[in-house]
Amino acid sequence: MMLEAVELTKQFKQTKVVNGVNLYLEKGEIVGLLGPNGAGKSTTISMISTLIPPTSGDVRLNNKSVIKEPSKLRKVLGVVPQEIALYSDLSAKENLQFFGRIHRLSGARLQKKVDEILEQIGLTDRQNDLVKHFSGGMKRRLNIGVALLHEPEFIIMDEPTVGIDPQSRNYILETVKRLNEEKQMTVLYTSHYMEEVEFLCDRIYIMDKGSIIASGTKEEIKNILSSENTVEMKVEKVQEPFIDALRLQPVVNHVTVQDRVITILAPKEINVFRLLFKLAEETNTVFTSVEIKTPTLEDVFLHLTGRALRD
Amino acid sequence: MMSILAAKIRLFIRKPWMFVITSIICIFIAFIIGTANQDKIKVPVYSSLSKHETNELLHSLQHSDLFAFQLMNQEKVRTLVSEGKVEAGVKLKKDDFDLIVSSQTANTSLIRQYVQKVYREKKQTEKIAEHSNAPLEEVAKVVNNATANPVFTLEKKSFRGKKAIIIDSQLQPIFGFSLFFVIYTIAFNVFQILKEKREGIWDRMILSPLKKWEMYIGNLIYSFVVGYIQVALIFTVFHFGMDIDFHGRFAEMLLLLVPYVFAIVALSIFIVGLVKNEQQFNAIIPLISVSMAMIGGAYWPLEIVSSKVLLTLSKFVPVTYGMEMLKGAAIYGNSLNDLLYPISILFFMGVVLMGIGINLVERRNV
Repeated sequence: MMLEAVELTKQFKQTKVVNGVNLYLEKGEIVGLLGPNGAGKSTTISMISTLIPPTSGDVRLNNKSVIKEPSKLRKVLGVVPQEIALYSDLSAKENLQFFGRIHRLSGARLQKKVDEILEQIGLTDRQNDLVKHFSGGMKRRLNIGVALLHEPEFIIMDEPTVGIDPQSRNYILETVKRLNEEKQMTVLYTSHYMEEVEFLCDRIYIMDKGSIIASGTKEEIKNILSSENTVEMKVEKVQEPFIDALRLQPVVNHVTVQDRVITILAPKEINVFRLLFKLAEETNTVFTSVEIKTPTLEDVFLHLTGRALRD
Repeated sequence: MMSILAAKIRLFIRKPWMFVITSIICIFIAFIIGTANQDKIKVPVYSSLSKHETNELLHSLQHSDLFAFQLMNQEKVRTLVSEGKVEAGVKLKKDDFDLIVSSQTANTSLIRQYVQKVYREKKQTEKIAEHSNAPLEEVAKVVNNATANPVFTLEKKSFRGKKAIIIDSQLQPIFGFSLFFVIYTIAFNVFQILKEKREGIWDRMILSPLKKWEMYIGNLIYSFVVGYIQVALIFTVFHFGMDIDFHGRFAEMLLLLVPYVFAIVALSIFIVGLVKNEQQFNAIIPLISVSMAMIGGAYWPLEIVSSKVLLTLSKFVPVTYGMEMLKGAAIYGNSLNDLLYPISILFFMGVVLMGIGINLVERRNV
């Protein structure tokens, strides 16, 4: 079973929000769609899930277009939206029952499925509590649970961990992994958290400004930076002249500053240490540590777009 | 569709306050305005007759919609009249009465006319009983029955052929405020469609086997039922709880609410299709409902409005036809045939506004 997007484009008035996106999902894999806010991820998955029609391009399930006949895809697709799409004045159980009923589940089958989902998302003990009294993490878990009610083969998750604590995030990531391993569920996971995608995904698409700018396995993507090193410098105080000087160096690719950590990308064959210490001395910058690191997906993104994922 | 209705009912049970509060406010305002207009003119009475005769006469006098006769002693009646606290007092005698006044006012002659009428009817009944040798109670019963079901009915019309204007100060606020307040109840329920769209619940439904029409019908039927129950409940409270007379057409009133509530549901979905967010909706609803109530004759009878501009505007407002229907049936005693015009206009408005409204909501990218 395969779901693919072919040359998907969405244009609102004069603006192309998504431009010629191609991607595919094969049975049993977790695919990451990575990109900063405003990259066009949500619009892309809205088109893939048949919620909005593309301006051009196609969405195919097993090589058959589903644009005109979306019901075929909808039967096998679960979508976890970025918003908490639940009735806050109903309990967890009532929400599951309602969404189960609209998926034509009823009677003992519905009850069994609701109990099973509550167990999966760890809310059995809180099933009768109103959603409005839940923590952000619990709401997110229930948001996922609702999408699993009709046992979909594909599940699309749009930033399912936004705004929750690390413990809840780990729980959700483990749940996604378990669903994939135990039920062979195919997952398209969008996020702007690099570490989530690194943890979960077999293959990754990186998206920016409406287009896919890189794709492949984690290793393949990291190999984009095989000719470069990431150098991370911790300083006592960030001196603007030092940053400006770094940006003027032709051997330094991309400079980012976060708190007192300065990160640069530089060609592997060049020893930049001498240059860095010289510039630090000239600008009265004091290092507390300097480290060469293996490139991460974040570094790849920085390399490809010239900006950090959460800019 | 049934699952949507079931969920909505559950949500209503969890949060009934909006419904309860608007219903109470409506009943309260209609009651205050209705009873304020309904205060009877107090007329103190004393008598030189036996207790039995006095009670009989007093019972007959109490049938007035305008005057409230209260039995007191002679001294108290004279004091009240002389101090100007009442306009007139009455001394009841066997075949006649005395009117005690300190000055002539418009009401004193009305009181005199009314008391005279009661005495005349009493005398008439006594004379019939005397000549027919029938018991007085029996004669009174026959006379009352004949008065209630006359052989001939006289209808008064002006030269221009228009119907006489009747203003019922009790039913006017009940109808007006019910039709006004229900706009809020319905509109805020219909607005949930936009809210659910924004929260992504609507998308979940779209991705389910539910059909779009089921989603709309489920939501709109719920809004219709809640609105209908509210007005029906208010009418029921007034009819059974406060003994307000709907001129024997209470059941028709409940039936006639259907086209009005339908038109308001359609108007609400039209407004929901126009607004972009909750703030806009919250701002626009009071504006529309208050202006519709003023133009449509919910606050005051349209019969007293003479401005041609306002009367023309009123033709485009559902409240106008809602009031026309209810007042037509209850106050003017119109038949269903006479009411077909406002009923059809309301259904027409409903169909058009609902068509445009759903189209707008569908086009809106939330």
